[in-house]
Amino acid sequence: MVGLDIILNATWDHIILVYTTLLISIIVSIPLAFVSLYSQKLEFIVMKFVNLVQAVPSFAVVAIMVPLIGIGFKPAVVAIMLRALLPIVKNTYIGLKNVDPALIDYAEGVGLSQWHINRYIRLPNAYPAMFAGIKFAGILANSIAVLTAFIGSGGLGEIIFQGLIGYNTSTLLAGAIPAIMLAILIDRTFTILERKVTPGYGHIKG
Amino acid sequence: MVQNMQTKRLFERIDSIKLKGVTKKYDSVYAVKDLDLEIYGGELLILIGPSGSGKTTTLRMINRMIEQDSGSVTINDIDTKDVDPVRLRRNIGYVIQNIGLFPHMTIGENIGLVPKIEGWNKKEIKYKVKELLAFVSLSPDMFMDRYPKQLSGGQQQRVGLARAMAMDPPLFLMDEPFGALDPILRKQLQKEFLKVKSEINRTIVFVTHDIEEALILGDRIAIMDQAELVQVGAPEELIFNPANEMVADIVDNQRKFKHMDTLKVKDLMSQYDDEYTFEASMKSFDAIEEMTKRDLENAFVFDGHELLGQITMVNLMKCRLSDKRIMDVAGPVKVFHPYDSVAFALSELKRSGETLGLVINSKRPVGILVSDEVLLKLI
Amino acid sequence: MLTLQIILDVWQRHLITMRTIEHLHMFSIALVLSILIGILVGVFIYMRPKTAEPVLNFLNIVETIPDLALIVLLLPILKLGAGPTIAACVLYSILPIARNTYTGLRGVDDQYTYVANAIGLSPRETLFKVRIPMSLPLIAGGIRIALVFCMGIVTLGGLVAAGGLGTVLQNGIQLYQKDAILVAGIWTGILAVFLDGFAGMIEKKLQERYGTW
Repeated sequence: MVGLDIILNATWDHIILVYTTLLISIIVSIPLAFVSLYSQKLEFIVMKFVNLVQAVPSFAVVAIMVPLIGIGFKPAVVAIMLRALLPIVKNTYIGLKNVDPALIDYAEGVGLSQWHINRYIRLPNAYPAMFAGIKFAGILANSIAVLTAFIGSGGLGEIIFQGLIGYNTSTLLAGAIPAIMLAILIDRTFTILERKVTPGYGHIKG
Repeated sequence: MVQNMQTKRLFERIDSIKLKGVTKKYDSVYAVKDLDLEIYGGELLILIGPSGSGKTTTLRMINRMIEQDSGSVTINDIDTKDVDPVRLRRNIGYVIQNIGLFPHMTIGENIGLVPKIEGWNKKEIKYKVKELLAFVSLSPDMFMDRYPKQLSGGQQQRVGLARAMAMDPPLFLMDEPFGALDPILRKQLQKEFLKVKSEINRTIVFVTHDIEEALILGDRIAIMDQAELVQVGAPEELIFNPANEMVADIVDNQRKFKHMDTLKVKDLMSQYDDEYTFEASMKSFDAIEEMTKRDLENAFVFDGHELLGQITMVNLMKCRLSDKRIMDVAGPVKVFHPYDSVAFALSELKRSGETLGLVINSKRPVGILVSDEVLLKLI
Repeated sequence: MLTLQIILDVWQRHLITMRTIEHLHMFSIALVLSILIGILVGVFIYMRPKTAEPVLNFLNIVETIPDLALIVLLLPILKLGAGPTIAACVLYSILPIARNTYTGLRGVDDQYTYVANAIGLSPRETLFKVRIPMSLPLIAGGIRIALVFCMGIVTLGGLVAAGGLGTVLQNGIQLYQKDAILVAGIWTGILAVFLDGFAGMIEKKLQERYGTW
């Protein structure tokens, strides 16, 4: 049997890993999406890269971190980020781009600066797609964080790998079930957030 | 003709179709109210009326696409309610305005779909498809393996007709089959359809909202208004003995019948468009492609400003002299002046058996005059 | 730096040819099963629309479960080996295929089903001759997503003794052999990207062939 304190500790580590990565991913993604909006070349490279990396198995991404960065928390963050960045960048970019051009014309006409247009027109318009991307990234991060335990990141995966060594069902479940619960939690909370920022779906945020 | 008897036919020919006390309501609104109508075997009956008059609903109750609330529809005294709708529909050819050719099937597969389901073998199907394509004036070798999107609107409409004929049905239901075509092309196809009609000699129920089309094609015309039948009779009967103001209005809304003698070619012609102009040196094959793209059945061949004659899609495809220049295959064309009298122009067209003439003013083409069967009847 | 010599050496020592065959073997079984079941589920929820929402909701929840956790849940039932891995692939892949099949079947323009009905096609014939062929581009899109899922999960199989390229990665990490990890990691990536690109090509072809204009 795995002690409750061990499970709680691992869950805590897991949450830290997932949310740290998610936060960094969001901070990196949004500027990337904006830059893609202004440079076609960059847009092409970013989107190509996004679609390419999405096809690569997570375990391969995680494994390659070992020779490149080493083991531990840091390579885990990088590996998860590589996958989690992509849905956020892609969705944010699509959201930013899909603004009615007439609206932008109008905004320029009344003398709004590029900054204001981006801040008050483009960004709010991108919220629903952006949050959908963040939700997807969160679920992905939670999933890969289980794997990164194999390269020493800690978290719930560690319990699972321990269970695998001795093939101990209760140990396996002690790792797997909290991980599943965390996934469902992320899905639920972000779904609610997504609805909050989607016009016509409850509260409208301007 | 290849005849296949995999499924027993419901009826070989139509003696009569009787609608008795047929009523269809949507919520509390009547779509069709207490309709009594008999369609005779072998005739082309037009159903005409403003939108919402119940004409399309009536048509669809014949093949049970819509089921009536009360009353009965019988074909050769068999109540359609007692027949499996799928079997019923396979015995009835159906043609609609937006044609509905399946985009994922070739022309050949579209036409051969029901025969295939009925279990015909490949050879029979191919033979039938070729026969039907030729019948609707499309070269089988050229069109069989194309996809619908590669065809012009007029060509798709012909394929739609060919598909309806695949099972050689004794009855056709047509719902504004020429409705989506431009006026000149429409008249062209109407004229061809008249020929087809006399050759296939089938019973046809035809919905339209175009009174000219009704007068040209119909043996009898049933006028509907507000879910009820107002009058049914031969075209002349409706023109000379309208049952009420509304019928008089519908059949005479063009007014031109009243002023026949003063009508000039310019009043009846359609505006000329440069897309009808084809260069004399063009190859026949390219002309076919170009006419398909522009959705034309006819075109005029010019050498600079000099008119050399006309070409028609049907003729181009019949001779299939792909590398001949169109100036060598162009046929004669009737030429009129805008101020010629319509009576004169139409009888000229009739005498030469042509569908349309070119209207020329000071050496420039200004219009196209299409032969008008209704006016001809009245001249 | 990786030299050809090192690559060949790693390739032989870790039996990468054999592992690749194992990998693709599991992958193909998983994908074929996913396609069959996914399309069946899609057609089923299309024919019984009331079941669509609960079924899709359930599959959506399955989709959020971490892939390794899902395999682990299946371990007690299916034991070590390829079983749990293949089962997890299928569970994940049903959603994209079933959802796209369902959306495709429903999305066929009314004018085509109307005509099919009018010329006397039975509902069954309409499904097979009209709706399914016209949904093929969307179904292919779903299959392509499933393909990426399967590739990812099959790679995890190495962790639960299912074999495949994941085994090489696992050994590489455990023995801390950087070269082995690099070679196997890059090779797995190339294989996945190549298959995805190939599927993309097929999807495009189907779009051209069956797409409405």
